[in-house]
Amino acid sequence: MSLIRKGALSGEAAPIPIHVNFDAPRPGAGMSRPRRSLAGSAALRVMLIVAGGIIFLSLGAMALQYRITARALEARQAEVLAADLTGFAQVYDQRRIPGLREAVEARAAITPPDSGLYLLQDRSGAVLAGNLEGWPPGAVPDGALFAATPAQDLTLPGGAAFRGVARELPGGFPFLAARSWAPVTETLRELRRTILWVAIGLSALALLAGWLVARAVVGRIGRLNSLADRVAEGELSARLPGVRSGDEFGALESHFHAMLDRIEALNRATHRLSDAIAHELRTPLNRIRQRLDRIEGQEDDVAAIRADMAGTIRMFDSLLDISSAEAASGQRPGLVPVNLSEIAAEVFELYEPLAEDKGLNAEAQISPEAWVLGERNLLAQVISNLLDNAIKYTEAGDRIILTLEPQGKRHLLSVSDSGPGLSEELRATVFDRFTRGADQQSVAGHGLGLALVQAIATRHGAALSLPNTQKGFRIEIAWPRLSRP
Amino acid sequence: MSDTPRILIVEDDIEAAEALSEAVRDLGAEPIVMRNYADGLKAAGLAEFKVIVFDRMLPGGDGIDAIAKIRAAGSTALVLVVSALGRAANKIEGLEKGADDYLAKPFDGDELRARLRALLRRQDMVVLDNDLITFGDLQIRMKARTVHVRNAHVPVSPKEFELITFFARNAGEVVTRTQLLENVWNLHFDPQTNVVDVHVGRLRRKLEQAAGHPVIHTDRGVGYVFDPQGSVVG
Repeated sequence: MSLIRKGALSGEAAPIPIHVNFDAPRPGAGMSRPRRSLAGSAALRVMLIVAGGIIFLSLGAMALQYRITARALEARQAEVLAADLTGFAQVYDQRRIPGLREAVEARAAITPPDSGLYLLQDRSGAVLAGNLEGWPPGAVPDGALFAATPAQDLTLPGGAAFRGVARELPGGFPFLAARSWAPVTETLRELRRTILWVAIGLSALALLAGWLVARAVVGRIGRLNSLADRVAEGELSARLPGVRSGDEFGALESHFHAMLDRIEALNRATHRLSDAIAHELRTPLNRIRQRLDRIEGQEDDVAAIRADMAGTIRMFDSLLDISSAEAASGQRPGLVPVNLSEIAAEVFELYEPLAEDKGLNAEAQISPEAWVLGERNLLAQVISNLLDNAIKYTEAGDRIILTLEPQGKRHLLSVSDSGPGLSEELRATVFDRFTRGADQQSVAGHGLGLALVQAIATRHGAALSLPNTQKGFRIEIAWPRLSRP
Repeated sequence: MSDTPRILIVEDDIEAAEALSEAVRDLGAEPIVMRNYADGLKAAGLAEFKVIVFDRMLPGGDGIDAIAKIRAAGSTALVLVVSALGRAANKIEGLEKGADDYLAKPFDGDELRARLRALLRRQDMVVLDNDLITFGDLQIRMKARTVHVRNAHVPVSPKEFELITFFARNAGEVVTRTQLLENVWNLHFDPQTNVVDVHVGRLRRKLEQAAGHPVIHTDRGVGYVFDPQGSVVG
């Protein structure tokens, strides 16, 4: 036996977890399918990627359309302004300021001040013509005569936006012509609102499309996953219904089924083998036994042979029990709701007189109605093995305590004694088959008792631990709790 | 001839069949041996048997599958399964499928006789519905769940009461430890320690003290005999 847990030699506080696979999925009270988080779900990712792609492309297309529309609208307003300016330029060329004044007057008369601004002033700032009462603040004369550029943006005190030209004509006449920008902003606002609604609708449709794609793709994988879950829970004969499609998914399902068929066949073969071993071994043993009964005299030898045979069979049964409990681990079939409190009390009652006769102080603290999903005989055997061990390894005057109490979602069963406890090296291997203390060879047994306890606990989805104790030995088994049936 | 109870033995292993037949003859019954499943099933329907001993891994089938068919055919025989499939799980399966008792191979001759005797006795016994069972000056009151010797109350624990009623049903016959563990405690595994002995020992002391003579006797390592009137003690 090797010192496996050297580091734990001095540690007294933390319980040593035993190498039972507690993380394995457990059905019902203790055995649930592994939950895949939404964030980590491939279905969600596929859906978001598809939807995101659709939304990105369509928003891009709409943005481009928006830009084109905006440009066209701006160009149209600029054209109107340019046409005005061309007209004014012609009049100015022929008749200078008086002609321009008439032209501005005429233009202003037919143009409401919210669609276009026209203003011509004299050197002193008096209005000669136009639909403005004074030079708008912020308009800085720039550029030559009636060129369309440079143009500038104007905002009137009322907030209306215009775009146009401000000039100082030769002789110091300030001149201003601008077109309202409102039609452009109006139209673009309208367009933006439309785009918003379309985008919302499109996103919803994109998410729907993404969901449909995700469902189509990931749903097929989901079927396989739930099949794998059922198989992991022990339903080896589970298969997907319906026919296989001809695509890659169908091929995957077919492979899966072929694999499961093979596992099932192997499993059946194993069962048949252990039955066959039982038959092939016990039948000749039975013949030996019957012949032994016919031997007269040598009573002691015959009794010794009988005892050895019984021991061999007990060991052999324990090994088969361990492997069948291991094989059935996590499987629900065969388990029924049982009252662990009753079983614990019965088995304790069975052992109590034995402990008493040995001068031990045995005590049970069992809270009632501890329902678990289990097999009565196996649960009884666990408690029996633990009590049997406790009685074997203690001396007169020692204490043995059996407790059963609810703890969170589990029923915690513990057996502790004030005996010599376990050496550190033994702690590490105590649940292995054929592990026995070097100083305990005088005590009857095969070292299979705790291995069987572990196998049965695992079969029931129970967690086993050996908490460190000041003195003696303590074992805890946390059985998945079942709400009362 | 008609007084001799017949016991059907369906067993393919010659040695085992011989041992079974011998045990049956020891009990004063007539053994009829069949060597495979089909013949066994046919024989069970042809004649009246008190007990049918069925093996499990027989050529042609599993004995526990025959139980339902035998019962459906109207047989009142009690079924003892004797099988190499001898683990607790196998036993429970057999009992759940209707076997009246289940014995694992390799079996002890005395254990087998005790089981067969208990089954024969059960066949003969009228249902124990009377409240009072009396063995000389020992009284077991079923409803009150009390035991009296010469009208003096003997305090027994509930389990001890169950023990004494099982003994009473098999009074005068050898009852093995395994039988007690299976019938009184409903446990189908082999505890490493002989826990049953301690319980029987306590009950025996109580009864002996009250009765003034041994009531439960030990039968050379096989089991116990409940004999309150000291009639069968040999």
